[in-house]
Amino acid sequence: MILSVTKRDGRVVLYDANKIAAAILKAMEATGEGDASDAARVANAVQRTLEKNVTEDAPGIETIQDTVEAQLMNHGFNATAKAYILYRANRTRAREANTSLMHTIDEITQVDAKASDLKRDNANIDGNTAMGSMLQIGAAGAKAYNEMYLLRAEHAKAFREGYIYIHDFDFYSLTTTCTQIDILKLFHGGFSTGHGYLREPQSIQSYAALAAIAIQSNQNDQHGGQSIPNFDYGMAEGVGKTYHRTYLHTLTDIVEDLADKEDAILTVEQALSEAERTMGETASLENKPGFDEAVADEIAARFPELAGHDLAAMMSRVRKRSFKLTDHETFQAMEGFVHNLNTMHSRAGAQTPFSSINYGTDTSPEGRMAMRNILKALDAGLGHGETCIFPIHIFKVKEGVNYNPEDPNYDLFRLSCKVSAKRLFPNFVFLDAPYNLQYYKPGHPESEVATMGCRTRVMGNVYDPDRQISYSRGNLSFSSINLVRLALESDGNEELFYDKLDHYLELVSQQLLDRFEIQASKHVYNFPFLMGQGIWLDSDKLALTDTIREVLKHGTLSIGFIGLAETLTALYGKHHGESEEAQKKGLEIIGHMRDFCDRKSKEMKMNFTLLATPAEGLSGKFIRQDQQRFGKLKGITDREYYTNSFHIPVWFPISAYEKIRLEGPYHALCNAGHISYVEMDGDTARNVEAFEQVVRWMHDCGVGYGSINHPVDRDPVCGYVGVIGDVCPRCGRREGQSIPPEMVAKLKKMYPEMPAFQGIR
Amino acid sequence: MSEKTLNEKLGQGVGFERIRRITGYLVGTMDKWNDAKRSEERDRVKHSLSM
Repeated sequence: MILSVTKRDGRVVLYDANKIAAAILKAMEATGEGDASDAARVANAVQRTLEKNVTEDAPGIETIQDTVEAQLMNHGFNATAKAYILYRANRTRAREANTSLMHTIDEITQVDAKASDLKRDNANIDGNTAMGSMLQIGAAGAKAYNEMYLLRAEHAKAFREGYIYIHDFDFYSLTTTCTQIDILKLFHGGFSTGHGYLREPQSIQSYAALAAIAIQSNQNDQHGGQSIPNFDYGMAEGVGKTYHRTYLHTLTDIVEDLADKEDAILTVEQALSEAERTMGETASLENKPGFDEAVADEIAARFPELAGHDLAAMMSRVRKRSFKLTDHETFQAMEGFVHNLNTMHSRAGAQTPFSSINYGTDTSPEGRMAMRNILKALDAGLGHGETCIFPIHIFKVKEGVNYNPEDPNYDLFRLSCKVSAKRLFPNFVFLDAPYNLQYYKPGHPESEVATMGCRTRVMGNVYDPDRQISYSRGNLSFSSINLVRLALESDGNEELFYDKLDHYLELVSQQLLDRFEIQASKHVYNFPFLMGQGIWLDSDKLALTDTIREVLKHGTLSIGFIGLAETLTALYGKHHGESEEAQKKGLEIIGHMRDFCDRKSKEMKMNFTLLATPAEGLSGKFIRQDQQRFGKLKGITDREYYTNSFHIPVWFPISAYEKIRLEGPYHALCNAGHISYVEMDGDTARNVEAFEQVVRWMHDCGVGYGSINHPVDRDPVCGYVGVIGDVCPRCGRREGQSIPPEMVAKLKKMYPEMPAFQGIR
Repeated sequence: MSEKTLNEKLGQGVGFERIRRITGYLVGTMDKWNDAKRSEERDRVKHSLSM
C-alpha cells in the first residue's frame, strides 16, 4: 500500500490517487485521446505497478511520473504519453532555469567582480556597483525568460549547446542595436530629450553639449553603440555661429574703443547686416574678398567719429581676434564634449554611453577647426592626462580629400596619425575601398561609410535602394555561428562542413526574423528618442501609436562568425596565416556565408548582412564548450579563446604588411562590419612616418576599417603616460611600490598639478 | 599618519594603468576584462614592419 510520496524538495506528503488521475486526464484532453474513466483506469494501473515494484516507503515524484509514462504506453495512449513526456521535459527545463537564475543572481550579489568572470562579461560595466549589479540581475532574469518563452525549441537548443550565439540576448524582446545619429537633422528646429525641450543650439559650446546629450538620450533606447556619422559637418555649423557672434562682438568692442562710446552694438549689428545683405555673404571664417571692406564702409557711414582711423587695420584686427577667440572656444567645447562622454551616465549609472564619432571629410574652415580641436582635446587627455576611453574617434580617409599631400585635409590626416600614435584613436575608415566607393557621392556626406561601436557598418539597402546611406540607420540584431564547432564535427570532411554551415545559416536567419517580429510590433512610444525625435530613418513620418515594422526594415539583420583560423586548422591542417591554400579556402567559406546573406536579402527584401563579430564576451564561451566535447586539440581548442572573426591568430608571428594583405579581402565580404588591427611596439608607433605607412598599406589592401594597437600605460601616481615596463621611467617606482623618497621633492617641483604631489610640503 | 610617512608611502599599493583595445574600443584598465580576453591580450605578438 502506497501511503506517501517524496516531493522534489524532500518533503513527504500523503499519496493521492486523484491527483495522478487528474494529471493524466489533462494530458488526454490535450491530445483528445481519452476520458475520465480512461484516466482512472491508467491511474489505478500506476498504483498497482508502484505497489508491486517500489520498496521504499515514500517513492519520489520522478518514479511516479516514469510509471505514468509506461502505463500510458501500455494502454495504447501513445500520443498522450508523448505529450506527458514533453510536458515533463519542459517543467524540468523551467525548474533548472529557475535554479540557475537564482545561482546567477547569487553570484552577482555576493562575489567580487575580480573573482567573477560573469561580472566582467562586458568590460565597460562596473559589476561591483549597485546599479551595475542591478543591471546584471535584470539581464539574467530577462535571459531566462527569453529562452523559456520566446525562442523556438531548436533555436534554444543551438544557443544552449554553443552552435550559435544570440548577442545582447538580455534585450531580445526590448529593442534594437545601434544608430548613426544625424545631429544636424536633430538640431534643426530643436529637439526634446523626453525630459525637456531644447532649443536649436546657437554656439559651438551648445552644439557640443547637445551632441553629447543626443548620444546619451539615444543610448536609453538601444542596447548597442551610439554614433555620430557627421561630427565634422555637424560641429562646423556651431563653429560658424560662434564665429559670427564673435565677429560682431569683437567689431563692436573695437568700434566702441575707437569712437569712445558705449552701447554701440545695435548700430554695429545694423552695419554688419547691411554689409551681409549687399555682399550676399555672412561673416564667416572664410574671408571672402571685399567683405571686410564692405563692413568697414557701413561702419564708417554710421560712426563719423572714426574718420581718420585706419579701418582696414581695424578689420584685420577683428579677423585675427575673432579667429583666435572662436578657435579657443571650439577647443573648450571639444574638451567638454570628450569629458562629458567619459563621465556622463547611461543605464542607471552603470556605464558611460558607448559612443563613436566619425569625421575627416568636411573641408570647410569651420569643419576643419572643429576637427583640429577635437584631435587636440583627444591628444590632451582627461584631467590628469588619462587617455579618453570614449568616444571612439573614426577618421574617414578619402583620396582627393585628405589622403594625398595635395589634398585639402591632408594635414588633418597627418594629425590623426600623430594623435592615434599616442592615444590609440582615431581608428581609420577607408572610403576608397571599392565596396565603400560604390556608394560615395561627392558633396553628400550621408553617402560616406561611417562605423559605430567596435565595427558595425550599414550602407547597402535592399529594402529601399534609393536610400543607400549611413545616416539614421543601424543594426537591428545579430547572432553568430560557431564555425569551429561545425569544422570539428565534420572531421575534415569539407562537404559535410558546408552542409552544416548551410543548416545553421538558415537557422540563424530564421531566429533573426523571429526577433524582428518582436521588434517590429513595438510602437513609436516605446522609443521616445530614437523614433519619437525622428533619429531613425522615416520615423518622422510615423505617429506616436504607430508600429515601427516598416521603418525598421532600413536596418540590418546580421549573421556573425568567430574563429575562422581555428576552423581552417580543423578542416585543412593550417590557418590562413600559414598557407595561401588555407587563405583561398577561408575566402571560400566567408564568401559562401556572404552569398547566403545576399540571397536571403533578395528573397525577403530585408537587409541580411555578414558580420565579423566583435566577440568580447563570446571569445571564451564557445571554446569552453568545445573543449569539454573535443578536448584540447593543438592549434584549435588549446587556448582560452577563439580567434576573432577572420583575424590571423594574435599569437602567430607575422609582419604587419602580411597580416593586412591577408585580412583585407575579408573586409569586402563582411558588409555588416569588420576591423583589422596590427600590434606595434611603443617606439615604432610613435614614429609618425611608420604609423602613416601602415595606415596607407591598409588603404591599398582594401581594408575598410583599421587601427593600430600599441601599449599605452599610465602611472596614476606621477602622471607619466607612455610605455611602462616594470619600472616607471619618470618616478622610478615599480608597480605597487612607493616612489623613492629622494624623487618626491624633485617630482613635486616638476609636476605640481598632479594630485599626488599636492599637500606635500 | 605624519606627513613624513605619508610622503614615504606615496604610491604604495597603486598599480599602473594599462590601456588596451579590447575589440574596437578601449578599456581603461584591464581589471574588468573577462578571463578569455585577458589571456588573448597576453598572447598578442608584435607585428614587424618588414615587408
